Amino acid sequence: MKLSELKVGDRAEVVSMQTDPLVRRRLMDLGLIRGTELKVLRVAPLGDPIEIVYKGLYLTLRKSEAEGVGVRLIDTAGVPGNAMGQKRHRMRFGRAS
Amino acid sequence: MNRRRDITVALTGNPNAGKSSLFNVMTGAHQRVGNFPGVTIEKHEGYVDYQGRRITVVDLPGTYSLTPFSPEEIVTRHFIIEEKPDVVVNVVEGANLERNLLLTVQLMEMEVDLLVALNMIDEVEEKGISIDQKQLQKLLGSHIVPTSARQKRGIDILLDHIVRVADGRIEIGKNKLVFSAEVEAAVTKIATLLSHERALEGANHRWLAIKLLENDSEAYHQVQQHPVWVKVELALQEAITECERLHRTDPEALITEDRHSFIRGAMQECVRQPHAERATMTDYIDMVVLNRVLGIPVFLAVVWGIFQLTFSLGEPLTKGLEYLFSLAGATLEPMLPDPLLKSILIDGILAGVGGVVVFLPNIVLLFIGLSFLEASGYMARAAFVIDKVMHRFGLHGKSFIPMVTGFGCSIPAIMATRTLKSRSDRLATIMAIPFMSCGAKLPLYVLLAGAFFPPGIAANVMFGIYLLGIAVGLWTAWMLKSTVLKSDSEPFVMELPPYRWPTLASVVFQARMKAVMYLKKAGTLILAAVLLIWAASNFPRNREIDARLAVEKARIEVSDSSTEQKAETLRVVEAKAQAAQLEYSVAGRAGKLLEPLIRPLGFDWRIGIALVTGLAAKEVVVSTLGTIVSIGHSGQASDLTTILRSDPGFSRATALSLMVFTLLYVPCVASLGIMKKEVGSWKPVIVFTGYVLLIAWVASFVTYHAALFMQ
Repeated sequence: MKLSELKVGDRAEVVSMQTDPLVRRRLMDLGLIRGTELKVLRVAPLGDPIEIVYKGLYLTLRKSEAEGVGVRLIDTAGVPGNAMGQKRHRMRFGRAS
Repeated sequence: MNRRRDITVALTGNPNAGKSSLFNVMTGAHQRVGNFPGVTIEKHEGYVDYQGRRITVVDLPGTYSLTPFSPEEIVTRHFIIEEKPDVVVNVVEGANLERNLLLTVQLMEMEVDLLVALNMIDEVEEKGISIDQKQLQKLLGSHIVPTSARQKRGIDILLDHIVRVADGRIEIGKNKLVFSAEVEAAVTKIATLLSHERALEGANHRWLAIKLLENDSEAYHQVQQHPVWVKVELALQEAITECERLHRTDPEALITEDRHSFIRGAMQECVRQPHAERATMTDYIDMVVLNRVLGIPVFLAVVWGIFQLTFSLGEPLTKGLEYLFSLAGATLEPMLPDPLLKSILIDGILAGVGGVVVFLPNIVLLFIGLSFLEASGYMARAAFVIDKVMHRFGLHGKSFIPMVTGFGCSIPAIMATRTLKSRSDRLATIMAIPFMSCGAKLPLYVLLAGAFFPPGIAANVMFGIYLLGIAVGLWTAWMLKSTVLKSDSEPFVMELPPYRWPTLASVVFQARMKAVMYLKKAGTLILAAVLLIWAASNFPRNREIDARLAVEKARIEVSDSSTEQKAETLRVVEAKAQAAQLEYSVAGRAGKLLEPLIRPLGFDWRIGIALVTGLAAKEVVVSTLGTIVSIGHSGQASDLTTILRSDPGFSRATALSLMVFTLLYVPCVASLGIMKKEVGSWKPVIVFTGYVLLIAWVASFVTYHAALFMQ
């Protein structure tokens, strides 16, 4: 499962990091490594980026960056209506991701 | 060793660890700001005299790590390696020790003379966290001094320890972090290989080996050029295979994980914190500020507030300064007999200096606002809220606030792009800012829209002009980011720091530094350019016009009309002479020379002159236009609106075309100057100038002909 697929309130453990080297380095420097337990805190008002919290650190990253972080779901919030993975309407200048 | 020598201290630490506040408290007023070579990162340096020793403190930029990825990290690393400060003080945020220690561990690996400042100790106590300092000192191999910049606690003890560390009077032996077996074996092997290479004598071999295993580009660069590389490469390959086989990951990740395990161990041994997962003040604020519904309105309100602070509050101050300068001019005027000298001093130098100084209130106020947002923790949230929109155009969430500031004035806006870390993000934002129609262009819109459109429509026309500017600006940024600036986009990965009240000293300090930088670096350039444009619109002088004016003046003087009438006629005559001189000057000739080029846009040479002089400042377009169109109008001075309406050279189409052209063409010299300063070289600025001229021409051409067609 990918970090970008988690829902708000979900708790998960990082199991792999297959992102672009710069993002991976940045995440590791901020203490996000294999075995880190995190919780998805919220999604930005416009649907991207997301905010996660782990070890007292509040971190924000774009979904495209969260895609490379593999996680194992520990505990799901199961609150309906706040799914993050849903496709949103794309504007004309949107990048292919 | 000379015990009395001066000491250099480098301050390092995570962003938001309170490094700058500590720096301010330590050095007080003895500070200066420079730049690190080659980058636009500010270098804050200060000193303090303690026990008869001069301690120079360099505040290095905030970093989480020492990998050479971001300019901050590179600067920090180079400073430590090359400048070899006597003491490296690592400022850690006491309440978030675990995360802060990652940098500490990396400093330990560099084997520098380290001193840890356990900062924000007041917060640690408030939260009921207990830290076993003795044990932690042993593990980190460094003295630890609890400090609080806010309460000014521990500063003397810190200085005392700095002197002790510098003199080698320490009681704590350095400690070494031992990695997991495979990594450790590889590190030892590579370090031994490196120690046999004579070219690398004096380098820290163990550290270099760790960096090589971490895939560190700079370490590669350093070692690759030497013969030992052949063996080292082999050892690296071997290590990579081993790590993959045993741990299913690469040495880089493994080393980071080992560091974190060491830190976790140290935390378990030394730190006790109350385990309640209690919501903090920050959580409550974020529930509102980052709320899915309220997030955007709050964000817009904050941006509006900053804008109001900068420009509405700045307005009376700017007006006051302008008044002072005009007062100085008026006082000087009667004292100067020679009209040319008068013009040089008053219209040239005084106006030039005034033109630089009037921006100061805006700059100071904006940076008070921005450094408050940055230090309080909201800036990162603003980026979080608006990033999605900005990302569509290839920009970063943090680009938004500088761009909005551009609606007031491009100069502080361009200076504000320093919050952006990646160079390409900064460049793209800087190039988009001049299209955000600044306050100085507004008088022209008001004049033209008011003269050629009925009141209800005039406002819509102006709104349309603003929208066009935004569209062109965003398009420019998007185009840049998807072509020439494609390479390095900054990842959005960012900490949302806890909210804090910024200390007054650091906010004031930021604003003061920006003001000084503006006056020193940009001010001289702007002044020179303003003087140049003044000269171009005054020289060469036509002596005939001067002579005729003198004759006319004398005739009015002896005529038998009333004093009031005399003054009025005199004013008209002088204005005409002035317009004639302008026509004769270099700027006037340039306007005429340009006419064939701007004719397709509906402009005659008079508008050409206005546009040329408008390079000094956009307000000047209106005043030049006022001077120049009055040439053809006899006697009775009516207001500019009436004159323009009756002028055959102006029409609705011309007015629209001129508004579009003014919106898009070359920004004022002050903006270009600050742009050069922030970008670092003239080349991009020159290319940008060519680009805006082209785009302004095309857009005005289309506007003019579309308007003609619709009429």
